Amino acid sequence: MQENAATQSQAGSSQIRRSKPRKKKKNQVPFGFLGLLLIAAVALVLGQKNGTLALFWVFGCCFGFILQKARFCFTASMRDPCITGSTSVTRAVLIAFAITTIGFTAIKYGAFVNGGQIPGQSYVMPVSLATCVGGVMFGIGMVIAGGCASGTLMRVGEGFGMQILSLFFFVVGSLIGASHMGWWTLNFNATAPKVFLPDVFGWAGALILQLAVIGLLYIAADKYEKKRMGNTDED
Amino acid sequence: MAEFTVDCLGEACPVPLMKVQKQMEKMAVGDVLIAQIDHSCAMKNIPEWARNNGHNVEIEEVDDGEWEIVIEKTK
Amino acid sequence: MKAFWDKVSKNHYYKMIFKNPFTYVTGAVLLSIFQIAIFASTGSPWGVSGTFANWGAWLYRLVGGNVDKWYYFSSEGAQATLNNGILNHTGSWLNFGIIAGALVAVLLASQFKFKKIKSLKQVVAATLGGLLMGYGARLAGGCNIGALYSSIASLSLSGWVFAVFLFIGAFFGSKLLAKYFM
Repeated sequence: MQENAATQSQAGSSQIRRSKPRKKKKNQVPFGFLGLLLIAAVALVLGQKNGTLALFWVFGCCFGFILQKARFCFTASMRDPCITGSTSVTRAVLIAFAITTIGFTAIKYGAFVNGGQIPGQSYVMPVSLATCVGGVMFGIGMVIAGGCASGTLMRVGEGFGMQILSLFFFVVGSLIGASHMGWWTLNFNATAPKVFLPDVFGWAGALILQLAVIGLLYIAADKYEKKRMGNTDED
Repeated sequence: MAEFTVDCLGEACPVPLMKVQKQMEKMAVGDVLIAQIDHSCAMKNIPEWARNNGHNVEIEEVDDGEWEIVIEKTK
Repeated sequence: MKAFWDKVSKNHYYKMIFKNPFTYVTGAVLLSIFQIAIFASTGSPWGVSGTFANWGAWLYRLVGGNVDKWYYFSSEGAQATLNNGILNHTGSWLNFGIIAGALVAVLLASQFKFKKIKSLKQVVAATLGGLLMGYGARLAGGCNIGALYSSIASLSLSGWVFAVFLFIGAFFGSKLLAKYFM
């Protein structure tokens, strides 16, 4: 029955194919290789001046490449459960959170036991009203603009006119936000707590707790998708 | 067996998928929908959605960065 | 020459890496590896949108504005970054890299197409969405990368709080999108 339906659909689609004159496709691969050479050239030039700049450039290119190849979209991880009930991107993001947590904790703990300063602590940010308001604004913005910060940059690379515009206004919005930061900092962030989970639960406790939360969210996301899609068979 | 086309060229996520969902609701079992897209994310999430819902799906790359997704409604 | 490139693009391993999309999980694993690598080598996790505030400041200077008195740019470090210019700014090169990397990925898959803005709706959505994201990112101290991904991985409570409110925002955003931008 299933196979029969499939052949029908193929018959249908081949009909469509015949009705549409096929354009001759150009091969863009040579330009891709040219692009790779240019990336290497820029890295070399930057490296002459400052190795760190070259390092960041190469990391950026890798992130862009991975984001595009996997169509990895942090916006979709929050949006798709609301719109379609699909959580495949959400679950992938949770996997990324789990792996990166383990790596980051190792680096931080390593610095800690060696008596050094723990790196990257500027990413432990105050929890205040600004976080909440900012989160809601960002959430609405990324869904209607069709991409968050990394997604917008990636889509500029893919040739989306719309995202070039939203990138420009993202920059303008950041500038307006920055101009108001004095007020937000004075009223909310200055007194808000910065909670680094190992300070509360200990290193092992924080790591285990966080991985457990990620695991539970993964299970919840999976169950939610199966419920929304009405699909009960395991795959 | 009717054929429908939705033009999603130039639309960013998630608009193509939402258009497809809307159109699929109006269609009868056995009808075919052709979604024309040029958004590389939609080329992944539309087939995924349709397969999860048990429809038959085919993807064809019609031009550089342009795809046609053919979906047959099965239920 | 064309035959050579056609042959390259039909190669099994070429298709595997450069033509076909990765699965989401493959992407997650690769991103994690590079996140850990960038943290280990530079001492700071991946961030994207903090740089946009600097881009804004440089643009503002170009049109004759001055941000030196603003609290946000008042620290010595921020002033030094602004005075060194965009070409000496690590975060800017990171973001240029994302654009370049995505472009090369699309070209190697032979899938590049410039997509023009189609309608007024898209202009409004991009403008409004961009402004909301920019302002929101400054309030929360980052975007989906800095305030969410890097923050959560840094075992910070702020990342989880941001995630909850981000989800609420995305929920309302989806409703708005369905109503006005389709």
